[in-house]
Amino acid sequence: MSNIPETIFIVDDDPAVLNGLSRLLRSAGLNVQTFLSPEEFLSHHDPQAPGCLILDVSMPGLNGLELQEALKNGGSTIPIIFLTGHGTVPASVQAMKRGALDFLAKPVDEKDLLDAIMLAFEKDRVTRLNRAELEEIQRRLNTLTPREREVLTHIVSGQLNKQIAFDLGTVEKTIKVHRARVLEKMKVHSVAELVHLYERAGLGTTD
Amino acid sequence: MLASFPPMNLVTIIWSMAASACLTLALLHLFIWLRRRQAWASLWFFVSATGTCLLALDELWMMQSQTVAQYTLAIRWLHPPAFLVIVALVGFVRVYLRAGRPWLAWTVFGVRSLSLVLNFILTPNLNYRSITALHQVPFFGDYVSVAEGVPSPWMLVGQFSFVLWVIFVADASVTVWRRGDRRRAVMLGGSIVFFALAGSVYAVLTLWKIIDAPVMASLLYLGVILSMAYELSIETAGAYKTGQDLQKSEHRLELVAEAAQLGVWIRELSTDEIWASDKWRSLFGFSNSEPLNFRQMIQRLHPNDRDDLDRVIDKAIEETGSYEKEYRVMRSDAEIRWISSHGQIELNDRGKPVRVLGLSMDITQRKVAELEAQQQRQELAHLSRVTMLGELSGSMAHELNQPLTAILSNAQAAQRFLAQDNVDLNEVGEILADIVDQDHRAGEVIRRLRLLLKEGEVQQLPVDVNDVLEDGLKLIWNDLVNKGVALVPVLAPALPVVLGDRVQLQQVLVNLVMNACDAMVDNTLVDRRIVVSTELFDGQGVLCSVSDLGPGIPAEKLEQVFEPFFTTKNHGLGLGLSVSSSIIKAHGGRLWASNNTERGTSFRFTLPVRNGQTT
Repeated sequence: MSNIPETIFIVDDDPAVLNGLSRLLRSAGLNVQTFLSPEEFLSHHDPQAPGCLILDVSMPGLNGLELQEALKNGGSTIPIIFLTGHGTVPASVQAMKRGALDFLAKPVDEKDLLDAIMLAFEKDRVTRLNRAELEEIQRRLNTLTPREREVLTHIVSGQLNKQIAFDLGTVEKTIKVHRARVLEKMKVHSVAELVHLYERAGLGTTD
Repeated sequence: MLASFPPMNLVTIIWSMAASACLTLALLHLFIWLRRRQAWASLWFFVSATGTCLLALDELWMMQSQTVAQYTLAIRWLHPPAFLVIVALVGFVRVYLRAGRPWLAWTVFGVRSLSLVLNFILTPNLNYRSITALHQVPFFGDYVSVAEGVPSPWMLVGQFSFVLWVIFVADASVTVWRRGDRRRAVMLGGSIVFFALAGSVYAVLTLWKIIDAPVMASLLYLGVILSMAYELSIETAGAYKTGQDLQKSEHRLELVAEAAQLGVWIRELSTDEIWASDKWRSLFGFSNSEPLNFRQMIQRLHPNDRDDLDRVIDKAIEETGSYEKEYRVMRSDAEIRWISSHGQIELNDRGKPVRVLGLSMDITQRKVAELEAQQQRQELAHLSRVTMLGELSGSMAHELNQPLTAILSNAQAAQRFLAQDNVDLNEVGEILADIVDQDHRAGEVIRRLRLLLKEGEVQQLPVDVNDVLEDGLKLIWNDLVNKGVALVPVLAPALPVVLGDRVQLQQVLVNLVMNACDAMVDNTLVDRRIVVSTELFDGQGVLCSVSDLGPGIPAEKLEQVFEPFFTTKNHGLGLGLSVSSSIIKAHGGRLWASNNTERGTSFRFTLPVRNGQTT
């Protein structure tokens, strides 16, 4: 029914709250999946699925903060919006420190909730884009031969072909060929672009 | 002058003395009976003694008759006194010895009545067909008249009654003997049988002319009268002693009552008049001399207590036989005093209530102290409840926020659905149903909260302990979840209903569970468990326990923890357990702590089923 690709996962041990929130979000044209316990959510969770998580802080068994911890340890980047009946300061500080997107007090108004959700989607999208980009760069890097990688590190540190040839104990002509191959494999047209990619991949700065 | 009186002969002296002796005794017992109307034996004695007296006089008349006509008349009038003697003696035996067959008694009465009637129908009388002449026989140094004539066979009817009479008395004596009262059987029964038999035999012999002597039954009956009089005098002497003892003990009782500040009173049920001691009068604000009745006394009671006392007394009169009641008296000086009254119903011989005896005591001081203590306890309970509520507020906020969240989300969802082109009315219907449900849920939370906050009189209503505990656990469920404590209820089914105050019992439970939580702060998250259990206690009460896995309480402090202001917490008032303990005491039970064999502490309390309570 919706053309938004993201899904909102809601975890709350209270079926009435779960139902109400689910209806509200569906009425706003969003995809919703509900879970009555953190354990149930974990067993169904697909880290690849885009969206965000709405989480009740106090639940029997694993509570909200513990689920957050578990997800983070599992490498999930899904943004989390916490809901709380009595927002105790220590719990919210802890949650925010661990990267919670927002901490909303029950009963929550639709505007606050939808704003938070949109923000979460945005963040998720950015995260996913970033990750996709990194993966692409990594893939391109993987196509380089060890020699080309060596040449790459020298290029991004701003060395000229002659210096590189000297350092690597070869002739300038060979380096010229390597440089062209690196630019081609990394799908860039200039050294400036190459440096940018290199930094994006977090492989180091050129200083 | 002296010569004009005939000389007094021995016969006249003896018979006159016999008559006057009988008359004296008769009058004595008539007075006794007039004073004590229940003394029926005295009345019967009076009748038979009077009869014997008349009998003696009549015999004297016969012996001194100068003409046949005189003698005939005297014989005829011999019968009414004889009837009185016989019938009254039967009555005496029945009443005094409580023996003798009723049918035999009635037969004696019937036959004797028949002979009395025949005596006055037949001419000249029952005994003779005709009296032809009188002749003088020597008797006690004198000459007395004896009749000559033809005896009548009808005389047998009269003599048959004598036989029945003797049999009746003999039979009654045997009964008394068998009952174990041998002295009376011999003394009274034996002498009556002997003298009655002798008198009757002698009468038969003279009347049938077997011996030539005058009729002198009265002297022998005098023997009967004397033995009866002796018997009655023993009893009167005993009664006098009992009366004296009674007076003495009454006097002692009065002293004791006075010393104990007790007011003594007696209420006659027939007249509703009240006799009361001076102390009682001062308790109720009456003067020492004014006459009192029950209505006046009731008027002095606090209006709210009047019907209650009436009901209690009625119940005592109809069923229980005694009562105890505390009520307020408003004396004329507009001052309210608390009185504790104990009444005992007194029954008469037939088991009918005749009067109420009672003691009353001024308990105002005790009562005021009690009420003050109760008020203090209530204030303390309220304070500790407010403190507890502070601790619970997080939980309560969550309890309220859950339904509020559901309601808000549902309502806003409905607004959105309704704004769409194709309104899904089913969906909207479901939303509204959920909103209503959640509203009720929130209302229920508020209700529980209000109950817990309410400061008021302690209620004593039948409660299901399991139900109360489950309701109480709902209040703190979320708090336990937040503290990572697992709660395990082990509730026994079909427990008896006890009288109690829901809110106060929940307060105790919440308090014990919160303490148990605090005791386990240092435990790891998987090691925090509280077991709340109920079980049957002593066959008819309920035992509840709350066990934790904490470090336990040092043995020397197991009792100390119930003292007010004893606390181990930084933020505690130290009132929780002391208030809980007094709540359980007010329910007739006990709250105590003990360390578990493995680890942790258990707090247990009992709730007995109290009297006047049905399950």
